[in-house]
Amino acid sequence: MTTQPRRLYIFTGKGGVGKTTLSKAFVRYLVEHDHEAVYLTFKNQSLSETHKDSNSETTVDGIREISLDLEESARTYIERRLSSKMIAGWIVKTPFFRALINMVPGFNYLIYLGRVLEYGKNNPRMIVVLDAPASGHALTMVESTTNFQNIFESGIIFDDTRKMLSRLNDPDYTKIHVVSLPSQMSWQEAIELKSGLKERTPVDVHITVNNCLYPLVEQNLKDLPSGLREKALNEKRIIEEHQSEMQCILPHSLGINSKTVELDLVGSLSKLI
Amino acid sequence: MTILTKSFEIFCGTGGVGKTTLATSRALSQASSGLRVLLITIDPAKRLKDLLKLTGDSVGEVTPVEVSNIKLDALLMSPEKTIQRMALKYHTPDLASNRIVKILSRPYGGMNEILSLVEVQMQFDSGKYDVIVLDTPPGAHFLDFLEGIGKIQSFFDQSFVELFTYLGSKTVNAGKKFGFGIINRVISGGLRKLLGYLQKVTDAKFIEDFIIAVQIIYKSKEAFLKGLSLQERLKSKSECNWFLVTSVEQGKAQEALEMKQHAKSFMHQDHFLVLNKCLEQEMSDWNPVDVKLQAIKTSLDSREKELKIILKQSFPVVLEFPEIMSLEPIEHVINLTHKWKTYVI
Repeated sequence: MTTQPRRLYIFTGKGGVGKTTLSKAFVRYLVEHDHEAVYLTFKNQSLSETHKDSNSETTVDGIREISLDLEESARTYIERRLSSKMIAGWIVKTPFFRALINMVPGFNYLIYLGRVLEYGKNNPRMIVVLDAPASGHALTMVESTTNFQNIFESGIIFDDTRKMLSRLNDPDYTKIHVVSLPSQMSWQEAIELKSGLKERTPVDVHITVNNCLYPLVEQNLKDLPSGLREKALNEKRIIEEHQSEMQCILPHSLGINSKTVELDLVGSLSKLI
Repeated sequence: MTILTKSFEIFCGTGGVGKTTLATSRALSQASSGLRVLLITIDPAKRLKDLLKLTGDSVGEVTPVEVSNIKLDALLMSPEKTIQRMALKYHTPDLASNRIVKILSRPYGGMNEILSLVEVQMQFDSGKYDVIVLDTPPGAHFLDFLEGIGKIQSFFDQSFVELFTYLGSKTVNAGKKFGFGIINRVISGGLRKLLGYLQKVTDAKFIEDFIIAVQIIYKSKEAFLKGLSLQERLKSKSECNWFLVTSVEQGKAQEALEMKQHAKSFMHQDHFLVLNKCLEQEMSDWNPVDVKLQAIKTSLDSREKELKIILKQSFPVVLEFPEIMSLEPIEHVINLTHKWKTYVI
């Protein structure tokens, strides 16, 4: 049976669990299975006077990777709404606007999410893979659309936000992957994040456990140095105890740098669809 | 390598590198030498929170704790409580009751970084501590905390100061009474135009509420500016130790390089790069025969070595901490406390 992929996949989880490598590998997986897919991530969390104000896009052997810039995204939105490139360019440079975006929690994510959804809207075949911010920030992000319904009680942003919300909260459109490591602390955090997300959105939230040494060394436990053996045994305990809640368990990759790890992962990602 | 004791110690880093555990162990190591230490932490994992007894009523309050017979004070930041203390200390009750300020000071809101600095300043003013260890909010990036401070500066930058001095408190009341139109009329041309445009996409009421909130924050500027002046002291070599934490697990060498570029404007140059969760020592005597195990060793080894080479080229001092193979946070903290001791005379 082939499952029809969703249109938006959001990867989140504690920092350092391998979100970036995994989301890039997943785009590669989709492309190898004849889908159109793009990797998106957020370049910056706030507007500053110094940073360069454009998206950076690279294509690495057929895989599109785009790092969205906040100022660019804000400008594009205002430009479309006020139908003036010049005014939009001026507004995003004013201190008042910078303060507004930087201080109001989630405003940056609202702008980014709007931009992310554009990619899906403009091309009905496009699958967007979003390498999202870590844990707490992910909650702010998911919450931002709802919050802004409350903050702005009417107006264009209010209407736009409502439209965004209906997409993001559509289980046929969006799926969220929480990435975790097979350690006690990381697992605990993944579970907390998953339940936090479930409180805020009806879409599927699945947990993937990344970089597991244990299944790899199952037959060789006695040959490991004592510390690594203990690490593998801790992983075993966590995996056995919580297996039913883990949608996907990915073994430690034998790649020697992030690129080889990414290529190595591609073959194990069918469960993430 | 010796790390001298300073009045302030700041831990920066992305989530999941063990920043809070390292800051806690550092605070304990200082306290065990008889120093009066306050640990201010932001977002510890639940089990570490339990260990430090920072749950329930303790949240946002200075709490005496004892770990492995070492005593120190700990404070789990609650932006809301910090705002309340500021309102009390500086006699600005509006600060604690305004709707928008409440939204801004929510976790992950725009005011977290400045509020933790204000909190450090207020605790330092109490004169009760030799050392204050600050575990900063986790960012997606090393620099998020440092750059966050700049956000509040844009509140107090020239155009804002002029604007809100000009508006004054009377305008707030007038705005409340007569609606947004009056505020509109008194605001100078450029800003009025901007607000007009913004109103088209948001709504008038939000912009009005936001301006009132900014004025309230501006009235408490003494507290915020003190927080900002603390930032200057943190740049001084004699007053502050900066620890930038990353982990082998994360292996984000690129980030470290970017860090080097940006760090200059935020902190002094003899900061420490802390590399956590090193496996090198663990694997040094391991010579597996099995081909698969050899491949595992090579993958772990080469990723760690590559990272170390890059870090050592980029940072004046790299402090290495081993990965602690234990399920218990208390063992992590105690092990790392001992490790810190090896860096101190």
